[in-house]
Amino acid sequence: MNVLALEFPPISHLFEWPEIAFHGTFYAINKTVLIYIAAVVITAAIFLLAGRKTDSLVPAGIQHVAEAGVTFIEESVVMETIGEEGKKFMPFLTTMFFFILFSNIFEVVPGIQFPANSRMAIPITLALVVWVIYNYVGIKSQGLGGYLKNSLFPPGVPKALYLIVTPIELVSTFIVRPFSLAIRLWANMVAGHLLLVTFAILSHTMFTSGIVGKVGSIAPFAMLTMMTGFEILVSVLQAFIFTILTAVYIGGSMHPAH
Amino acid sequence: MTNRRTRLLAAPLLALLALLAFAGPASASGESVGSCIAEKLEELIEESHGDLDEVLHELHVDTSIGDHFEKKCIEAPSPILPETNEIIWGGSAFLILFVLMVKKGFPAVRGAMDARAEKIRSDLDAAEQARVDAQSVQSDYEARLADAKTEASRLIDEGRADADQVRTGLIAQAEVDAAGIRERAASESAAATAQAISDLRAEVAGIALGAAERVVHASLDAEVQGRLIDAYIDEVAGTDG
Repeated sequence: MNVLALEFPPISHLFEWPEIAFHGTFYAINKTVLIYIAAVVITAAIFLLAGRKTDSLVPAGIQHVAEAGVTFIEESVVMETIGEEGKKFMPFLTTMFFFILFSNIFEVVPGIQFPANSRMAIPITLALVVWVIYNYVGIKSQGLGGYLKNSLFPPGVPKALYLIVTPIELVSTFIVRPFSLAIRLWANMVAGHLLLVTFAILSHTMFTSGIVGKVGSIAPFAMLTMMTGFEILVSVLQAFIFTILTAVYIGGSMHPAH
Repeated sequence: MTNRRTRLLAAPLLALLALLAFAGPASASGESVGSCIAEKLEELIEESHGDLDEVLHELHVDTSIGDHFEKKCIEAPSPILPETNEIIWGGSAFLILFVLMVKKGFPAVRGAMDARAEKIRSDLDAAEQARVDAQSVQSDYEARLADAKTEASRLIDEGRADADQVRTGLIAQAEVDAAGIRERAASESAAATAQAISDLRAEVAGIALGAAERVVHASLDAEVQGRLIDAYIDEVAGTDG
């Protein structure tokens, strides 16, 4: 693919990974699956290692990561959006945050350089799980009638406006939410991956095109380095956004007034 | 600070300029899906020794060959590794960032972790000290409570002993008093008896005198005297009775 005289690899080469095992089956394993497996293993390893019984209560090494992560989710996500009642969702939210983070962060790991969430499967699956949970919490907390009434007819809105508000709420709360949640994560990771690949190819192309290009390649390479740092931030930020929106949806279902 | 920001902003600007200025003559890298399929077709034609009809026939009969080419050309060439140039340049960028992080970022993180550990350690020490203090206060309180109990017990015992002593004294005194009363009563009784006997004697003597007077007046014989005396004594006895 020729873009501004750059031979860019086909987009599919950046996202379509050949199967490695169980070819042709629904459980076939490719690079994306391996990254998800790695994300699960790393998340589990961090908390299993951090949760080991030690002589001292003072955290050290990996315990800092786990404790800081749990504290961060508790203070910045759960307490800010749901409150004390939300603490029962701590394991779910913490696991989801770390799983998404590690699935994303492989975007910058040399030799892997692919964010697993730039494929739609897991973002949409997680979003649907979130959809089921917040609807279940809403029905459990307010009853089916109360939940539907408070969701579709928000209190405090003039009755005449329900003609506009109710269809919007119906679409946004029950249909759009899971997709917006999934697409936000997926699109950010796709964009980040494309940016990194673009600057890597630009750097390579310029570096191999004579002395002027060699000197000029410093600029895209600097940009690549900055974007690598930025994408680490994006990986964390997207995991945080997915998690905090999940908490906001759960909190909203639990407390209709909020 | 301003210079640093300017430098940071200059980097993307330079990158954009470089893209516009040098992208044109840049050499090609990678391949398109179309060129990949064309390459695969060429290989197939070569295998068929240039017989295009045979290749077309083969593709027509076995559609999986075309699907296979398409799949091979759409999917990334390697199942795991990205494009080599992406690994080299992306890896180098990561390496630079990693070195920067090791030099600048990790010490800050390490400092924060150490500070956190230190805070937790001091909090734990403070909690331990508070626990020891509380334990000491509790021990002191328990000791005082035990002392108070002992003291109360001692006072109760003393009170009980004093009460016993008083009771014993009172009983002894009562016994003495009772003995005195009994003694006085006995002596009064004996005096009253003696007085009664004395009075009786006097009365009997009087009566005897009376009887004697009668005897004298009536010159009674011995038999009559005896009967009179007996009758008198019976009379007296009946009167006392």
